[in-house]
Amino acid sequence: MAGIFDFGPAIVLLPFLSFLIAVGTALSGRDLLPKGGAIPGIAATAGSLVLSVAMAAAVAGGEVYDETIYTWAVGAVPGSDGLELTFGLLIDPLSSMMLVIVTLVALLVHVFSLGYMNDDGETGLPRYYAGLGLFTASMLGFVVADNLLMAFMFFELVGLCSYLLIGFHFREPGPPSAAKKAFLVTRFGDYFFLIGVVAVFATFGTAQFVGTEAAPGFPVLAEQALAGEFTANTFLGLGTEAWFTVVGLLVLGGVIGKSAQFPLHTWLPDAMEGPTPVSALIHAATMVAAGVYLVARMYGFYAVSPTALGVIALVGGFTALFAGTMGVVKRELKQVLAYSTISQYGYMMLALGAGGYVAATFHLLTHAFFKALLFLGAGSVILAMHHNENMWDMGGLKDKMPVTYYSFLAGSLALAGIFPFAGFWSKDEILFETLIHGLDGQPLLLVGYVFGLLAVPVTAFYTFRMVFLTFHGDARTEQAESPESVRWNVKGPLVVLGTLATVAGAVNLAPVRVLTGAHVDFLHAWLDGGFSDLTVHHYAEIDPYSSAYIGGELTTVLLGAAVSLGLALLGLGLAYRLYAVPEPVEHTDKLGSAKDLLYDNYYQDEYQVYLANRVVLPVARAADTFDQGVVDGAVNAVSSVSLFSGSRIRRIQTGVVSNYAALVTLGLTALLVVFGVLGGWLL
Amino acid sequence: MVPPQYYLLLAAAVFCIGVFGLLTRRNALLFLMSVELMLNAANINLVAFSYYWGNVTGQTFGLFTMALAAAEVAIGIGIILVLYRNFHEIDVTEATTMRW
Repeated sequence: MAGIFDFGPAIVLLPFLSFLIAVGTALSGRDLLPKGGAIPGIAATAGSLVLSVAMAAAVAGGEVYDETIYTWAVGAVPGSDGLELTFGLLIDPLSSMMLVIVTLVALLVHVFSLGYMNDDGETGLPRYYAGLGLFTASMLGFVVADNLLMAFMFFELVGLCSYLLIGFHFREPGPPSAAKKAFLVTRFGDYFFLIGVVAVFATFGTAQFVGTEAAPGFPVLAEQALAGEFTANTFLGLGTEAWFTVVGLLVLGGVIGKSAQFPLHTWLPDAMEGPTPVSALIHAATMVAAGVYLVARMYGFYAVSPTALGVIALVGGFTALFAGTMGVVKRELKQVLAYSTISQYGYMMLALGAGGYVAATFHLLTHAFFKALLFLGAGSVILAMHHNENMWDMGGLKDKMPVTYYSFLAGSLALAGIFPFAGFWSKDEILFETLIHGLDGQPLLLVGYVFGLLAVPVTAFYTFRMVFLTFHGDARTEQAESPESVRWNVKGPLVVLGTLATVAGAVNLAPVRVLTGAHVDFLHAWLDGGFSDLTVHHYAEIDPYSSAYIGGELTTVLLGAAVSLGLALLGLGLAYRLYAVPEPVEHTDKLGSAKDLLYDNYYQDEYQVYLANRVVLPVARAADTFDQGVVDGAVNAVSSVSLFSGSRIRRIQTGVVSNYAALVTLGLTALLVVFGVLGGWLL
Repeated sequence: MVPPQYYLLLAAAVFCIGVFGLLTRRNALLFLMSVELMLNAANINLVAFSYYWGNVTGQTFGLFTMALAAAEVAIGIGIILVLYRNFHEIDVTEATTMRW
């Protein structure tokens, strides 16, 4: 296969090149590049975007690509034909779509950074652009990975980059601690992921997502194993299906950490300490999206395990509601957005768990656009407010920064799920899929559906509380009276993303198809192409769900859409009533102690710190004592015996030649006596 | 023909004199002489057995041993010279600086 796909590695290597250039500049210590190194980054991500679009066009033409590029280790395994650890490229409808999202958002974030970082006179810019370049490169590497191990490696690189970028302002107290927290919490999840990768290798002997006809990837092998056509190694005395569930849940550990799902979501709100463009990149296109993308990537494996799917759905649904409620009381602009991110990724997990593969991917797409938009909009506001993020110090910015306002409003309408903005279509499809699969005798999914549905008005409420507090009413401080103006490099990305957030829903108008019969669910068709084992069609065959409707498909569609839209409007209306006034007050104070509970994040941080201090620390201490005392003690005891006896025995080395001669003579005599007594050699 | 026991007794006596000298003397030159005595005791054995078996290989080895002894003496004297230069005497019990 030749052609456009041969340029596949360049998508990953271009941002990596910009990283190298920026690092070189940073190390040289001189101001070698204009704009602190932004230009190579912009050029590289633009190049990647062009290539990604070209790939997507090729994929649209029905081509797919799955090639191993480099085999870096071959291991012999008893009882199988050996294990190959490789780097490879997998470009199919899912990954090409994700490539376009990631490169587009990365490009816009680079441009926005010109306004947010350069124009604001930040120092250390080469370091910043190096971080952005590496972040983009590792995420792209993760997206195109054709096996689980490679995905894991880039997954870890993404985590490293988040650490570097969240802690960009390392001289202040907050960012380094937030960076460490983000790294440690996600590492905790990744630990399970690593075990999961090893388990996949041990079970199937391969970690390819697709593989070939002769040597299929592990999702297909899992399917065959359950059908009895393939013998998978199972461990711990578990049956095949139970073991697959265990492996799936192990990998899910990494997903929960990276995608900030309950209970490992605590790092994400703290990660707001990083520069705002970084937040946009982390939340919209890279780090957090990586978790959900991973589940979608190996969906064939999860689809054969109903238990794992149930866990995913329940965790996702619960997180969607749980995080949403915390967003209601926050005072900082970016904090509200942080909790909305957790909540929205909860929706995606709910969709994946409920068999809504397309719905989840769709929401991943729309969310990438509107969340990047909201973060960049927030960045614009924060610039104008001289880095004051408290919404209670804002107000009335609507007329002073109209471009930011209208694009932010479009993003907010999309986030709240108001017709006809992008978020409405994707969120509605998630809830619809959950409902129809739940109605068919899946109580777990119905629970998830209720969580998801309850989160809808909460989302609309906190979103518009944020909008009204920031942009409406009277200016509450001097800064809000006369905000600093922002330039084209801030407005440009906002306009692009604002447009996308408004119209991106058009890629998958599933309800319209049901209504009119026109084939307008393009994303559905898109994801149904490519490798036959990775199509929506195939997933629907192997997942454990079937559909049931309330009085026919059409009625269910309309009913579901009406309920979720109604609830969203309810939340919006409440926010309008309470906060769209000239002098808003903190109505959430009326919640009393419930507000403190929400404001302190349900004491999630406290209990995790408690666990670390009271459980993990004593265990670690005990392990240390055991190591120092017993393990090292045994080693030291052996060596001290040698040392002591050596120090005594060396005394026979007097240095006097006569003594040596005497010893030699004595030895010879003794030997002769022994010979005499025994009458010859001992043997 | 003189029986070999006499030669062996002679060799044993010479060897014991050498060992006695090695154990009791402190003068490095006397050490060297004692070692020579022990070597010659071995030589007597070689020649005696050679004579007994009617085989000249032993005598040939005796010649080699003498050459070896000459070489050994040359090195030994060299060592003793160095010893004298460093310690201004040739008492072997004084040169104990090379131990632990």
